Amino acid sequence: MDTFPDRPLLLLVDDDPSIAATVAPFLERAGFRVLTVSDGATALEKAHSHRPALIILDVLMPRLDGREVLRRLRRENVWIPAILLTQVGEASERALALEEGADDYLNKPFDPYELLARIRAVLRRTRPGERSLSTSWMLSALDLRLDRRARRAFFKEQPLDLTPKAFAVLEYLMTHPDECLSRERLLEAVWGWDYPVGTRTVDTRIAELRRVLEDDPEQPRYIETVAGEGYRFVAPVTGQ
Amino acid sequence: MRRLASLLEWLNRWFSTLWVRLGIVLLPVALGGMVAFYVQIVIRPLPILAFRIDIGTAVLLAGLFLTLLLGAYFFGDESRSWFARDEIVAMRHELEESRRQFIRRLDHELKNPLTGLQAALVNMAEAPDEADRARAAENARQALERLRRLLADLRKLAELDEQSLERLPVDIPALLEEVTDAVRSLPSAQGRAIHLLISRVPWPFPPVRGDRDLLSLAFYNLIENALKFTTSQDTVEIRALEDGKVILVEVADSGPGIPPTDLPKIFEELYRGVNARRVEGSGLGLALTRRIVRLHGGTLEVRSRQDEPRGTVFTVRLPVAR
Repeated sequence: MDTFPDRPLLLLVDDDPSIAATVAPFLERAGFRVLTVSDGATALEKAHSHRPALIILDVLMPRLDGREVLRRLRRENVWIPAILLTQVGEASERALALEEGADDYLNKPFDPYELLARIRAVLRRTRPGERSLSTSWMLSALDLRLDRRARRAFFKEQPLDLTPKAFAVLEYLMTHPDECLSRERLLEAVWGWDYPVGTRTVDTRIAELRRVLEDDPEQPRYIETVAGEGYRFVAPVTGQ
Repeated sequence: MRRLASLLEWLNRWFSTLWVRLGIVLLPVALGGMVAFYVQIVIRPLPILAFRIDIGTAVLLAGLFLTLLLGAYFFGDESRSWFARDEIVAMRHELEESRRQFIRRLDHELKNPLTGLQAALVNMAEAPDEADRARAAENARQALERLRRLLADLRKLAELDEQSLERLPVDIPALLEEVTDAVRSLPSAQGRAIHLLISRVPWPFPPVRGDRDLLSLAFYNLIENALKFTTSQDTVEIRALEDGKVILVEVADSGPGIPPTDLPKIFEELYRGVNARRVEGSGLGLALTRRIVRLHGGTLEVRSRQDEPRGTVFTVRLPVAR
């Protein structure tokens, strides 16, 4: 494991041996060092002793579940970025998700390449030891302000009238700035499911967001269309 | 004050014992009987002339009435649950049976893709040349995709019961246009006749209050189903009407029709009729669709015939937003 000390260390926490046995070698081939543990309590220990670059956490585990592990780490002011292997829930649950402070979510079953892409994106986005956008209560970009606790958005200091889904899409875009997000991924993250024509649903909400943000798709200040790929939030985002 | 409270408690306890309640219930009829006996036998009958009835009988009837009233008051709940007991037992049996059936069907749905996956893995390990290995990998990917779909639909079905529904105005004609457009762009829909008919005169459709995305999923399932179970010679028609109270959407096809024995079961979870054996799908589409329509206060019905002119019509009725 220590043959490549300069490679980033990942802490993979999952009690299911079939996940650990297959995902760990895959991530090692992709250029990471991987430390695998099978329960939450050990995960807490290893997070302190090894200071990994990122933690991948399953939610349902014996002794200490993934959410609790993360909550304890954040309470101790440890801001190691984390990916939770579950689905972001409904709006009511989203405030909780914010509290537990995961940097991204990935629902099982997942494509290992998707996990790799998320790991790289999170590592690129976060600076060691700092709170990431995903854990900020208030996000700002140009004239737009997002109060995630109250689930309200303001544009030029005026409250925006957004549907809950549109708010959730905006929130996801703003917590993943400068990243090309496919329609499928937005569906999975915001709706929690996808189906062949669901991608149109995403376009409808993006159109709604552009309308209220007075954003011109030709010259976007906020949401850029990446042809054939998806959408990208281009405005610089700061969190509080 | 405390003495009063303890007295009330004592009375309460006293009243809740079976014998006391039975005594209270039977007291009026017993008293009535005694009065009737006293009047008729011991002294002489005393008729109330206006009603042509004897005073003793009147008291007895009043007592009987009071007893019935008290009986209903004290023992109504118990007798109701006594009579409902058989029903509850039958319902529990039915639930257990449907659970067993669900597990049998799930087992069946899991078995096939897993077998495919297993075989694909063996092929991948043993196939000598690159092309065979690539084909095996593709087969494995397809089996996985099937399992993933099934899982996603199962989760969706479970979530529908838990989460609260968005209740925003939905423009049904616009939604139908969007879904139909999307279905037309599917590879399997190329060269297929899909018609959308929406009445526009004299006024636009009133909105339905609900979750646009779920409704879109429901209509998508119906249209996709119509395509799946028909051939390229058949026509699929989607039509919408409104009468001010209800919006009616029909998805009709000129396909082979559903056998009458299958018809009542097609909305069951994971049920596969004769027609559906060879068709790709999770087996949950119609169950999901019906659940979504019902959550919106609507109904989903089907009629189908197998002899000419054959075909199937699914009818969705959604109440208009008030």
